[in-house]
Amino acid sequence: MTAPALRLVGVGVRFGDAPGLRGIGFEVAPGERLVLLGASGAGKTTLLRAIAGLAPAETGRIVIGGRDVTPLPAESRDAVYLHQTPLLFPHLSVFENVAFPLRIRGVEEATLRATVAELLESVRLDGLGRRRTSTLSGGQRHRAALARAMAARPAVLLLDEPLTALDPSLREEVRTTLLSLQAHYRPAMVIVTHDLEDAAVLGDRIGILLGGTIAQLDSPERLFRRPASLPVARFLGIPNIVTGSVEAGQFRSALGSMPVGGELPAGPAAAAFGSEALHADPCGTMRGVVRRIHHGPRGATLRVEVAGIKLEAAAPAGAMPLPGDELLFTIEPDRVTVLPGATDVR
Amino acid sequence: MGPEPLGPVRAVSARISRRLLLAALTLSALSPLVLLLLTSVGREWFFPALWPASITIESWRDAFGGGGRIAGALGTSLALAVATGLASAAVGWPIGRTMADLRGWPRHVGAAAAFLPVAAPPVALATGLHLSALTMGVAGTFGGVLLSHLVPAVGYAALYFLGVFTLFDRRIEDEARTLGARSRTVLWRVTVPMLRRQVGEAFLLGFLVSWAQVATTLVIGGGRVRTLPLEVFSYLQAGQDRYAATGALLLVIPALLMLGAVRFAVDRAEATPL
Repeated sequence: MTAPALRLVGVGVRFGDAPGLRGIGFEVAPGERLVLLGASGAGKTTLLRAIAGLAPAETGRIVIGGRDVTPLPAESRDAVYLHQTPLLFPHLSVFENVAFPLRIRGVEEATLRATVAELLESVRLDGLGRRRTSTLSGGQRHRAALARAMAARPAVLLLDEPLTALDPSLREEVRTTLLSLQAHYRPAMVIVTHDLEDAAVLGDRIGILLGGTIAQLDSPERLFRRPASLPVARFLGIPNIVTGSVEAGQFRSALGSMPVGGELPAGPAAAAFGSEALHADPCGTMRGVVRRIHHGPRGATLRVEVAGIKLEAAAPAGAMPLPGDELLFTIEPDRVTVLPGATDVR
Repeated sequence: MGPEPLGPVRAVSARISRRLLLAALTLSALSPLVLLLLTSVGREWFFPALWPASITIESWRDAFGGGGRIAGALGTSLALAVATGLASAAVGWPIGRTMADLRGWPRHVGAAAAFLPVAAPPVALATGLHLSALTMGVAGTFGGVLLSHLVPAVGYAALYFLGVFTLFDRRIEDEARTLGARSRTVLWRVTVPMLRRQVGEAFLLGFLVSWAQVATTLVIGGGRVRTLPLEVFSYLQAGQDRYAATGALLLVIPALLMLGAVRFAVDRAEATPL
């Protein structure tokens, strides 16, 4: 088994006088992308800075490439930190920016020139090496910053909201560059974002930072389909959360009962499911009324009321119903996550 | 809706006003220099004559001739000003940066401490420094005068760098560190080159503060360290207007040249692609 490129063991970081983060632990394999998702102020950037050595970790250990770097300064950690906006050195040309990590390591000139040329080519900036950084476009600046980071050949690349400030076309451009560079140079990546879409696209695994700790760390598929707790389900914006109880292997609620997968203790529980789990079906067992139709970038969804509960359902493939229409609905039990002990549902 | 465009008459009137203002500013800047130049070469120029009776370059020849007092004083002034500019920029940088890192009352106290020698009347400052210079045994020496010039110059530089570092984005230094640069490398390869214009301006500030010092030079130097401003004063007191005007012009020219040189050097460095 490959040794992890990055390992955090019980890391705690304070935010001023507040308790901040506590007990953070995870591993990232070489070439793996871990996305840390959290709301604003959740401590994502603080955690990233602690890993980089730019903020002190109060407790725990940070291990990079098998070496405990907790007491080491940022320059000795083998972890490059990239800010949300690319911070290129304005007094250096594009070429010299990318060459910076190599120059400070005393790399021989011919090797340096070859390496920088290769990196500039890989981010499609070949021919722009002599340009001043202020003349680059937004996307070019991001790509130059990524090339400079890769020139350091870090074991770990830490990216703070790399796509957040970009418009959709630039977002795709930077995302593609990021993924191709990583495929070639294979650093472990920790990417911080608050955008679910970015997390789903970029992450091999996603960690949810809630209440100062990692509430769930899973593959995107498992995370979005099987949130581990109600707070995680709420954070992920899962639209339908219905309270009920578990009895004899069934989840019972106002919507009826459905089988519960796995071992769940009897008692109060909540079912969380996305709009795709609930759809109009002429053979369905639940009668509901369409209240509103919501048209979004990924298609339409229905706001419906079933058994007095307001839910979000997938729009039918055929003719769109109208508000006030009565339809029959079906829930797909395998798309529903039942969370035990949840009684404080909206 | 944008602002209403000016009518043709108002537009012409605005253009004329701008040109008149520019002409007035140019005249006010150049006329004292022209007057000084005429005084420095004019012989027997008495009121109400608009023009000197004859022209001589005697004062200029004497200034740079063998044993000329003005040339020696110019050299001392230049040495003092360059040393003050360099030292005040070097000392003001860390002080300004440290103050920028402070928050709340410690920052205010630091800024007030830096401002004190700037705000204090030069004679009061000179008197206080004289006692210190006597205690240190540097009164009447070049080093003593340099130290006395540094007191207000460092104050200016520290306040200047406080402003610079308050606005400076430290994250770029963080990024350089994670790329593998040690603190010294970050300083010399990132921060100083990035702030070279500001460093140049801080040097110029210190240079000009020293260049214009009279009271501290007179009191601490005790007449043994002769700078150009002191010579100008002594020529004025002796009624030698031609020599005083020559010295005054020599006071203006190096300051302007230094201003131009710093700007040129910084602009050129910033325009160089590799």
